[in-house]
Amino acid sequence: MGWDIQSDVPPQPISMATHTIIFISAEAKPKSVQVPTGTLLADAARQAGVEIGQPCGGQGRCGRCAVQVTQGNVRLRSTLRLSNEALEQGYALACQTIIEGDTTVLVPEQEKIERRLTTDRVAAEVRPPVGYDYPHSQSVRRIHLSLDPPSMDDQTDDWSRLQTALRAQVGFETSEISLPLLQSLPATLRAGEWRVTAILAIHPERPTASSARIITLQPGHIDEYSPLWGIAIDIGTTTVSLWLVDLISGKVHAQVAEYNGQIARGEDVISRIMFSSKANGAEEMRTRVLETINGLLDTACKRVQIDAGEIIKATVVGNSTMIHLLLGIPAENIRLTPFITTINQPPLLPAREVGLAIAPDACVDCLPGVASYVGADITAGVLASGQNRLEEVALFLDVGTNGEIVLGSRDWLVTCACSAGPAFEGAGVRNGMRATTGAIEDVWINSETYEPVFRVIGGGKPKGICGSGLIALLAEMFVAGILDKAGSVKRDLPTRRIREGNHGGEYVIAWADETETGEDIVLSRVDVDNLMRAKAAIYAGFSVLAEQVGFILEDVHKVLIGGSFGKYINVEKAVQIGLLPDIPWERFDFLGNTAVRGAYQALLDWRERERVKQIASQMTYIELSADNTFYEAFMSAMFLPHTDLGRFPSVSAVLNKST
Amino acid sequence: MPVEIPKDKWPGSIRTVTLGATAADGGTRGLTVTVGGQTALPYMHFEAQSPNPPVVAIEIKSERPEDWSSILTEAWGEALDDPARWAARAQDAGAQVLVLALSANDTPESAVKAVKAVLGASGLPLIVLGPGQPEKDNDLLVPVAEATKGERLALGLCEDKNYRTLVAAAMANGHLVIARAPMDVNLSKQLNILITDMGLPADRILMDPTTGALGYGIEYGYSVMERLRLAALQGDSMTQLPMIVTVGFETWKAKEAKVGEGVPEAWGDWRERGLHWESLTAAALLEAGADIIVLRHPESVRRIKIAIDELMVTA
Repeated sequence: MGWDIQSDVPPQPISMATHTIIFISAEAKPKSVQVPTGTLLADAARQAGVEIGQPCGGQGRCGRCAVQVTQGNVRLRSTLRLSNEALEQGYALACQTIIEGDTTVLVPEQEKIERRLTTDRVAAEVRPPVGYDYPHSQSVRRIHLSLDPPSMDDQTDDWSRLQTALRAQVGFETSEISLPLLQSLPATLRAGEWRVTAILAIHPERPTASSARIITLQPGHIDEYSPLWGIAIDIGTTTVSLWLVDLISGKVHAQVAEYNGQIARGEDVISRIMFSSKANGAEEMRTRVLETINGLLDTACKRVQIDAGEIIKATVVGNSTMIHLLLGIPAENIRLTPFITTINQPPLLPAREVGLAIAPDACVDCLPGVASYVGADITAGVLASGQNRLEEVALFLDVGTNGEIVLGSRDWLVTCACSAGPAFEGAGVRNGMRATTGAIEDVWINSETYEPVFRVIGGGKPKGICGSGLIALLAEMFVAGILDKAGSVKRDLPTRRIREGNHGGEYVIAWADETETGEDIVLSRVDVDNLMRAKAAIYAGFSVLAEQVGFILEDVHKVLIGGSFGKYINVEKAVQIGLLPDIPWERFDFLGNTAVRGAYQALLDWRERERVKQIASQMTYIELSADNTFYEAFMSAMFLPHTDLGRFPSVSAVLNKST
Repeated sequence: MPVEIPKDKWPGSIRTVTLGATAADGGTRGLTVTVGGQTALPYMHFEAQSPNPPVVAIEIKSERPEDWSSILTEAWGEALDDPARWAARAQDAGAQVLVLALSANDTPESAVKAVKAVLGASGLPLIVLGPGQPEKDNDLLVPVAEATKGERLALGLCEDKNYRTLVAAAMANGHLVIARAPMDVNLSKQLNILITDMGLPADRILMDPTTGALGYGIEYGYSVMERLRLAALQGDSMTQLPMIVTVGFETWKAKEAKVGEGVPEAWGDWRERGLHWESLTAAALLEAGADIIVLRHPESVRRIKIAIDELMVTA
């Protein structure tokens, strides 16, 4: 195992040929070294004093030692980590490359190597949808009106004067206004000397035929290219995300996220519902989530330097419980058989009534959901993932506190939900955190020394571990042999990183002097159990779903993954722990937070909004608690990677190699 | 008209596991006991002959048990104070295997002494169980394993959170282990995988699926055993292990068996009831596919051995 190359090459003859190896890098002068035939490139690099990281201990497992052979004779023992394109360009793993002639090697920067790897999936960047066109797509309109000033000859009241202008200048036959806007109407009209900018909520399909509702009135004529602000919000059970968007250009100006303030009153939807059923509980829940959202608004607005009052439209998604609690609608029937919501498709509401600290008459659009446990976060997620437009069958999963799963294509969609717990969002794990600066997002563990190497978001000292980091850590601890298949830490290994914690064995990823907090960052037995339960619930969910419709999971064309993981997810590691099915890596698409992305698309374009409604009506909901199939599947998945190892052939191969 | 009885043919079979080693194989046992080997569901003799009948084991203790029902203590009398005597009596009572349960009061020295005494007093294959506290189990069973190297004892219990030390000790000293999971097919299978992952061959593992006494979850235990056996016959290699059930332990903590006072008169004679409770529980689990039945009362042993003989009649 490891560095012993003797086993791979024939015994070396006494009159060995030696070769010159030249290492070129951007940071330093070229270095060269003389080595005999059969030397491992990684050894040659070390002799030449060239630093090439090998987090996995030189087993060809991590791919972090990729270099570019620009000239010369080498033999590759393993190419598993590299894409075909990279291979064509001469990329090779230093730890798996044997020298057979003079060679010139380009040592790339670490950043560039990561992009060569086939397993890292990076969340897609947010760009305005192709062909986004504000006048045709938006359900709000900003218009300039110039009113005839009143005189002794024209004593028409202010509101009729405004209505007349709306009719004559933009063609709206009827219009509506709220009392607070009426109260400020005279001042607004006169301050702008009868020139006024109105923002209207309109019916986008037939704008002039239906009534326009006035959202804001501002004196004077505002630059028509200046931003028109809207927000997309995903209220997750654990994490609330908010995007601040310019509705004119479609551009996202700020993306912010924070833990849901309701967590203090229960980690999952059931305990939240129970709390909300107590005296004043519903009001407290509502206040808590509004405080979280309004706090996020504040952060986003400060970042872009606008006033929250300029925001005139909000599109909101969340699971059905979250939406009920936000709107102060009783949620208890969601919890009780036969699991009925009060409303799946809420009407448009003014922000004033909802309690959002944006323009009081701004439109708040809570997108349609399907059922008690499949809400608008999933219908919007399907929209964002594009599953509803695919010809072939895909699996969409939103990995959050509730794992929601959708199987299907443009012809049919079935869905189910399972409670995974907040572990993959970094909550309920001792050193867990959201995917923000200071979070460990990827980990490699050397399987000989058990020493870890990790990547921290922002590049500084680590504060904790986010969801993708937890997946990587669990996988690495398992593959490196620190955990057994049941997730128990092997206490008998020769490393001080494994120690007895308060609740069983634990592993230290970073010592106190390496961390931002000044405390050790560890993964405890309880953390492992929480992660195991989360991954088992999700795997069991989609295996049962596939079984119910008679579909073989391994046949899915695409696996579309949403969730608040951060920027990266390492698909191979998610497969190694049995979170995702063992199918070729290229079939996975990592999409980031699909719920908020779907909300964003619906915020921008009323036709997308209609599509969410269609998706909601198209989905068939499957109740997992109807019999014990889910429980059986769950228990079977409570193992690394799974009790039935035959379902994970690639993991099985890795395990056979390392033992 | 002749009726064709349909016969199932299964792709899988149960592994054979041998307890005890004679002098020829590096131990001191007078005989060995082999269980398993089935290729069909229990007692479906018309489908396939069962090569090894189930065996009855008697549970004895390293020190006088304080919490046993008087029905049991009366049966064993003075022997309760001396594991060696108790072992000899148990052999006379018809035990085919002995189970020595160590006590939490035992020290490594006293545990080794008790095991040696039992081995000296009886030539039967031996199972040694720790007191059931992970750390204590390891403290006692490791020295026992070392002191009895080559005897092919079965050591228990391995559980998912505590199996490594015991498995390592069994591997190093030529013993077997008992893998106990709490009444769940998946958990049983998972534990067997964990143990074989360490390198112990599967034919040195007995699985204890955990059972409940009559009236205390026996249906659930029965169903789990049945499903384990079905999975095994269907070819799932990590369930193809013989099953051991601790009927005596479960039965004699049930109120119906344990106590004679303060219970409804309609329950009838206490002694009869206690014996029925143990033998009925055992008979049911035999049908579920148990390979080793661990009992406490000599009368239950007599009854169950008769039941086994009758079940094994092939005509």
